[in-house]
Amino acid sequence: MNEEQSENNTNETIIKLEGLSKRFGYGDAASYALQNFDLEVKRGEFIMIMGPSGCGKTTLLNIIGLLDTPTSGKYLLNDELASRISASRQARLRAKKIGFIFQNFNLIPNLPIIENVALPLVYSGYHKTRRLIKASEALERFNMKDKEYYLPFQLSGGQQQRAAIARAIVSHPEIILADEPTGNLDSRSSTTVMEELRRIHSEGNTIIMVTHNPALTSYATRVINMLDGTIDTDIKTVKDSDLPVPIERKTPRKIFKSRRKSNKKKKGKK
Amino acid sequence: MALLLRTHYELAKSSLKRNRTRSFLTCLGISIGVASIILILSLMGSISSLVSTQVSKVGSNLIVVRPSSTRSTVDSIVTELTSSTQYLKSNLTLKDVNTISKIEGVASVSPLAVSVNSLKGETDTVVASATVIGTNSDFLKIQNLSLKNGTFLREESETPTAVIGTKLANALFGTAEPIGKAITLLGQRFIIIGTLAEVDDPINFNNVDLDASLFVCASDLNNIDNSLQIQQINIRTENTDTLAETSNKISEALIASKSGDNNFVVLSGDEITHPAGSLLSIISGILAIVAGISLVVGGIGIMNIMLVSVAERTHEIGVRKAIGASTGNILLQFLIEALILSLTGGLMGLILGYILSFLLCLVTPFNPFISWQILVITFVVSFITGIVFGLYPAIKAAHKNPIYSLKFWA
Repeated sequence: MNEEQSENNTNETIIKLEGLSKRFGYGDAASYALQNFDLEVKRGEFIMIMGPSGCGKTTLLNIIGLLDTPTSGKYLLNDELASRISASRQARLRAKKIGFIFQNFNLIPNLPIIENVALPLVYSGYHKTRRLIKASEALERFNMKDKEYYLPFQLSGGQQQRAAIARAIVSHPEIILADEPTGNLDSRSSTTVMEELRRIHSEGNTIIMVTHNPALTSYATRVINMLDGTIDTDIKTVKDSDLPVPIERKTPRKIFKSRRKSNKKKKGKK
Repeated sequence: MALLLRTHYELAKSSLKRNRTRSFLTCLGISIGVASIILILSLMGSISSLVSTQVSKVGSNLIVVRPSSTRSTVDSIVTELTSSTQYLKSNLTLKDVNTISKIEGVASVSPLAVSVNSLKGETDTVVASATVIGTNSDFLKIQNLSLKNGTFLREESETPTAVIGTKLANALFGTAEPIGKAITLLGQRFIIIGTLAEVDDPINFNNVDLDASLFVCASDLNNIDNSLQIQQINIRTENTDTLAETSNKISEALIASKSGDNNFVVLSGDEITHPAGSLLSIISGILAIVAGISLVVGGIGIMNIMLVSVAERTHEIGVRKAIGASTGNILLQFLIEALILSLTGGLMGLILGYILSFLLCLVTPFNPFISWQILVITFVVSFITGIVFGLYPAIKAAHKNPIYSLKFWA
């Protein structure tokens, strides 16, 4: 039973992009960050997206993370059209199912680390005590427990990024989007951060990471090279069947599952 | 929902605490507006309570007839303001007093012919604008007043006599006991036969300060000045039960005697207190508008600070949105922040307003007036101010684009 379920999980497509385009500007000034972009991401993949500046990597990440909307094309998140999801439910998905890691950490400067980490939980409806306990647990994972009540500027870049990763995973999201998480870090901190990401990945999470550093591709299960808004090369280093299996968690995936069921019902009616 | 509100309240509180001085100054703007409103409301409240306690002191069987000027309409109030009450021709005459006194159930009647005149004492001391009240012997009884010395006016006396209030006596003669001395009013000598015991009620339903008045017989006054104006007729009925009946009778009798002219009002009970200084109510209305303006200025202060705060925290808004805040979440966060500012300001204003009105009471005859209505008004007014002036910045914050906001560093 358990095995069957996990087999299902590994084969599951979590993100599907079809003919996705994103245009900036109009008329003569129009330029395309993404052009006719197709991508299918399976649960448990660790995708590294590489490519020159301005080839649309960050735009792609923003669209996947529901922060931006494509000009045309389809984005299916768990078999659900993203354009059909209401703004408030998109926000809830960002809080519960998607974790963002940024190049410049983006911690709120005047909140202590623990409250920064607890921030996504604010928007998924946890009591303050509960939030702080969860945040504290997340920080403990990254050996940052003693830094809980530091303010962001009191920490080194590597520590700040680890706090930011703790924030990204505090609500146990299924997708983690990292935009050059090591871009501002020295090589030692980079290694620590990448080890953390590898650990998160090994627990069955899907990670999509943008990077400029070719040395980091060894962590990935799939490397995509982008050029001018399209995929240039797409190499899978790990077979789909060998992808890590999500560990069972207490928190059920209510949002996705219930939605999928109701979608199926609707389709059946039609 | 309650949990979300609490969380937002916590967020807003912590962000306001970060800018203590700024928050305090913004609150101060609101509190000054609220304090001035409270000051005016409590002033108006204390005036009306002063008059109504006075009427109940005088007695519940009091009826007052006034020349009608339909005081309730704004037009007539403006006319009154521009053409001063003294010149407004009253249609009440001494004949009417006579008519009323013959009505069944009326115990006593006294006219009030108030005019402002210059008075001359014995030693050429002149009081330029003293209130002279032309009345009759019943006045004392109706008003429940007593004399300090001497006797009150009598219609049958041959020489013109007068009774004087203590304040005026002091001003004119330098003593509170001027009995027997003569006073010159409009070229006619009056002998002072009594002094009024101090009343110390400068605001009352007669609209005159009795302590600073000279009382003479209305008939005497009518002999010198043919255009005698009776501003008010005070009537005391025999008993309280027939008050309404008697006032109807008075009204009918007056209309009949004036061949249909109904340009007067017959008031009893609480109605009497109502027009206590229509000028005063106009002034307090204008003051309330001014206070309202200062509240608006305070509200603009809130909006200003909130806009600054939104701009400063653009990046924070971007981060919050990226990690799961919805538009509504951000809207609520900033709206609650504005509400905390305005409600705190309102509370500060409440305290400030009462301190000010207590201070005012030390130098005026009013008593500080506190009612739950004022508390509710304060709360509602500051709540509305917070919503009105906090909404625009909150909407602005909520609709920020997360991608651009993330790139924005203050």
